[in-house]
Amino acid sequence: MRTINRTLTLIILSLASAATFAQPGQENWLVDTMYKSGKINTVVAVVAVLIAGLATWMFMMDRKVRRMEKELDKR
Amino acid sequence: MKGLWWKLLATLLLLYTAIIGLRTPLGPAIVQTSVSRIAPGPLELDVWGYGTHFNSDQPRAWLVNDSQRVCASNITAIAGDHMKVFFDVPAGLRKQMTDLQVFNGTDGLVTRYAAFYTDSLGGGIAEHPCVGGKSLELAYTFPNRDILNESIRNLFFHVPMWFTMVTLMAIGVWKSIRALRTNSLDEDRAAASAVGTGLVFGVLGLISGSLWARVTWETWWTTDPKLNGAAAGVLIYLAYLVLRGSVPEPAKRARLSAIYSIFAFAFMLLFFFVLPRLNDSLHPGNGGNPAFNTYDLDNRLRSVFYPACLGWILLGIWMYQLRDRLARVQTRHSDANDQ
Repeated sequence: MRTINRTLTLIILSLASAATFAQPGQENWLVDTMYKSGKINTVVAVVAVLIAGLATWMFMMDRKVRRMEKELDKR
Repeated sequence: MKGLWWKLLATLLLLYTAIIGLRTPLGPAIVQTSVSRIAPGPLELDVWGYGTHFNSDQPRAWLVNDSQRVCASNITAIAGDHMKVFFDVPAGLRKQMTDLQVFNGTDGLVTRYAAFYTDSLGGGIAEHPCVGGKSLELAYTFPNRDILNESIRNLFFHVPMWFTMVTLMAIGVWKSIRALRTNSLDEDRAAASAVGTGLVFGVLGLISGSLWARVTWETWWTTDPKLNGAAAGVLIYLAYLVLRGSVPEPAKRARLSAIYSIFAFAFMLLFFFVLPRLNDSLHPGNGGNPAFNTYDLDNRLRSVFYPACLGWILLGIWMYQLRDRLARVQTRHSDANDQ
């Protein structure tokens, strides 16, 4: 549980630092193109779903492997 | 390490997909005009662009109707993406739909097809030729399609899900046939692993497609034959897992599910690739719609799309192998415990 908490904190903090890089007005190219139509959000949502789906799969595998490890340790 | 190179390749291809596929800008396009219907008389038109440079040199604008052109009487650029264009629209244009074309020294020719419904049709107009302009060889950009706009990038994420699912199900069929020929439970286990991993990609394909549909077709789900076919394909394979769960005897389960898997694969191909082509569909390449590979999928999209497909397929095979290796260890372990 502690490892999970630590990982989550790490992810949130690195995201926060990424947000501070994107100062408004500094990246005219991004503001003028990608962000304006709002349709880039669809791409962001799709990529987020794929990452979330693959992460879920990783967690399920992780659980299976851990159960297997415990079984082997019992012997 | 031996056998690691293609996993590294999968990682590099997906990194390439994420970076180039998300960072490459779209080409210039007209996204909005202040009116969508034109009638004879003076017209003051607001034009909004996307990635355009209207305030660049040599600004030109004209209407095109049945290859007859009406040139702008005046053009005022307000910003790179906003300009006012003035026309004297004549009576007697021949076709119902009129295109709008603009040109400038930076963007080259930018066209908005069927921009206006046209009133007071007739037998043609007296043309006053005006200076046109050619499309320029622009820097590396993706095509900026109407309605799709930025969401065209989903091509690298949504579409490969289905290719990966079909690849994994094909591995499942191959393993199923081997299971029937050799009566080996190892082959049966491999087939089940392939189908289980393929379903992960099928479900991700359905969810990502639904999100994309919400923005382009303004609904989460349509009765589009490709959508319903994809859902049916995924459900057929979910039934495969149910079938496996309901037969307790391993040898019998292996035979039954192998035979089912072969039929399921044939039906999935039918639902994914045959039936949508026989009906009208919103997807490219089906019914009356042109395929992505005729003119929609240009070479710049291809240069990311093909690596993306290969990357996702290799990742799928990697996941299938991990799953199968774990299942093998589990089986070995429980067999050892039973003895």
